[in-house]
Amino acid sequence: MGSLARAYGRPLASVIAGIAVAWVLVLILVPLGAMVEQSLWWRDSKGDASLSIDRLYNDISLIELDLETETDPAKQAAFDQSLVEKRAEIATLEAQETNPPKTYGLANFTRMSGLHFYIFVRTIFYALLVTALALVVCYPVAYVVALASGPRKAIILMVALIVPYAINELLRVYAWLMILDYRGVINGVLQWMGFIDLDAREWIPFLENPSAVFLAMIYTYVLFMVFPMVNTLETLDRNQIEAARDLGASTFRIHRRVIIPHAKPGIAVGCIMTFMLSAGSYSVPAIMTRGQGGDWFSQLVYRQFYESNNWNMGSAYAVSLLVVCTAFILLMMRLFGVGLRDIAK
Amino acid sequence: MSTATESAGARLVLNIYIGLFVLYLFLPLAVMSAAAFNAFDYPSVTQWQGFTLKWFVALAHDQRLLQGLVNSVLVALGVIAVSIPAGLSGALILTRLGQRSGTMLYSVLVSPVLTPGIILGISSLIFWREFGVPGGLFVAVMAQSSFIASYAMLLFLARLQRQDRTLEEAALDLGASHLLVFRRITLPFLAPTCFTAAVVAFLQSFENYNTTVFAIGGEWTLVTEIASRLRFGLSPVINVVGVIFVALTLVAAITYVVLKKKLKA
Repeated sequence: MGSLARAYGRPLASVIAGIAVAWVLVLILVPLGAMVEQSLWWRDSKGDASLSIDRLYNDISLIELDLETETDPAKQAAFDQSLVEKRAEIATLEAQETNPPKTYGLANFTRMSGLHFYIFVRTIFYALLVTALALVVCYPVAYVVALASGPRKAIILMVALIVPYAINELLRVYAWLMILDYRGVINGVLQWMGFIDLDAREWIPFLENPSAVFLAMIYTYVLFMVFPMVNTLETLDRNQIEAARDLGASTFRIHRRVIIPHAKPGIAVGCIMTFMLSAGSYSVPAIMTRGQGGDWFSQLVYRQFYESNNWNMGSAYAVSLLVVCTAFILLMMRLFGVGLRDIAK
Repeated sequence: MSTATESAGARLVLNIYIGLFVLYLFLPLAVMSAAAFNAFDYPSVTQWQGFTLKWFVALAHDQRLLQGLVNSVLVALGVIAVSIPAGLSGALILTRLGQRSGTMLYSVLVSPVLTPGIILGISSLIFWREFGVPGGLFVAVMAQSSFIASYAMLLFLARLQRQDRTLEEAALDLGASHLLVFRRITLPFLAPTCFTAAVVAFLQSFENYNTTVFAIGGEWTLVTEIASRLRFGLSPVINVVGVIFVALTLVAAITYVVLKKKLKA
């Protein structure tokens, strides 16, 4: 902090520090804390509260009837007394019913139903699969763009990759929706070839299969794997490859011992980004299933917030997702031996 | 020109592979773009009923989409206003901090980039509700800024690493005030990055869906409006939006590459 003040003077340094602190607190840490806090409590709505209230009202009317026929002042006083007690009890019960007390605990996490937990696990599994497939598909692409083509071709390839990367993710999903839809491109071609008749609604329902989401997801996030790998591979000295080849290494060995070790940070970043984006993607499943299916965990989270209006449960779901993503990042960092500074470049 | 580390056969296989990959990337976009010009009122390329521009006219009269465009621009400007100062401050502090505390702060400031977008949207929604601010354009600005500021910071950090600090020190020795040095030396040095960061922030904000959809509440941006349209039947108007996006992106990418080449030459 001292060096900041020395460099920019005390007033300016405090403005800079103030903005940074506001950023950390207002935009990052406190909202995150608020979400975690929200996931840790719930309001107990006791199901039998309304029943007890009804019973108390019944008791009161009975006592009031008794009171009207009663002549003994001592007994009247006793009735009055019990009336007051019952009314007070009703008041507290009704307050609890409209504004149930907060209870803290982990129940939002443990209360996740079997189906939701299954979707949670399946989402993570699919996200891992997307990541693995993207890695396999993209490695040769990154290799060619970064190392195995001349500068001209490399530039053309970069443009060819940047354009679809820069186009809105929704539109990329939409393109696949058009292709796989009931009256989409594939069904259209099948009709043209005479296999099916669209007017008789004989289409093949690709969209009703969960793999439609999977297909569109790979298409949408595959490029997040390419660019980090290209970035690291570009810094590899091509002479190293030449040297390895001159020394008699096979192509496979060159990749395993020279190129892949050099690409490690890029592979780690690519995997982290692809996994994080696909595990947390809301756009792809929401559009591919037209908001109907609940195949992806993010859709469950959205419903907790905007349909069930259960923010506590929704927060617990979101926190679970965050924990998995953080674990994945830490695992990748350890596996590939890279630090946070290598990741964010 | 090319490093001949592969045999001719291997190079052929690689070239075919890359060709297929690029085809895979572009074919869906081409299909989407073509359907925008089809007179058929369901987005399709297989049932071609003649060339038309009527969907462009329909877009020009679509009040909700146009309002969405205005909202998107407003949010993006808000994001620039928040994330450029934040990113710049973060970068200035990090370049002056020691190794240990620097890494701590760095981890916190970079973490939003690695957090799933929906989580940023949710946490902002919950946070601002505490202050009685419901989901809307303002909360969307805050949610998006949390990670876009990190991107801006990374850009500033990269630029600051190439900074020659002796210039600032010399100016201070010659009696310039800190404020003058900052205004006349530091800021001009960072000005190109400010511009780049603003462009990046604008694009990131404009394109964002996963964070925005949670934070936007009852309001809408162009992108969230498109998404909610897709849920109820398809319309070629969305394809027109797609064509415009594709065209703008192509122009921008080519200009960028040409400019970069010219600067290098």
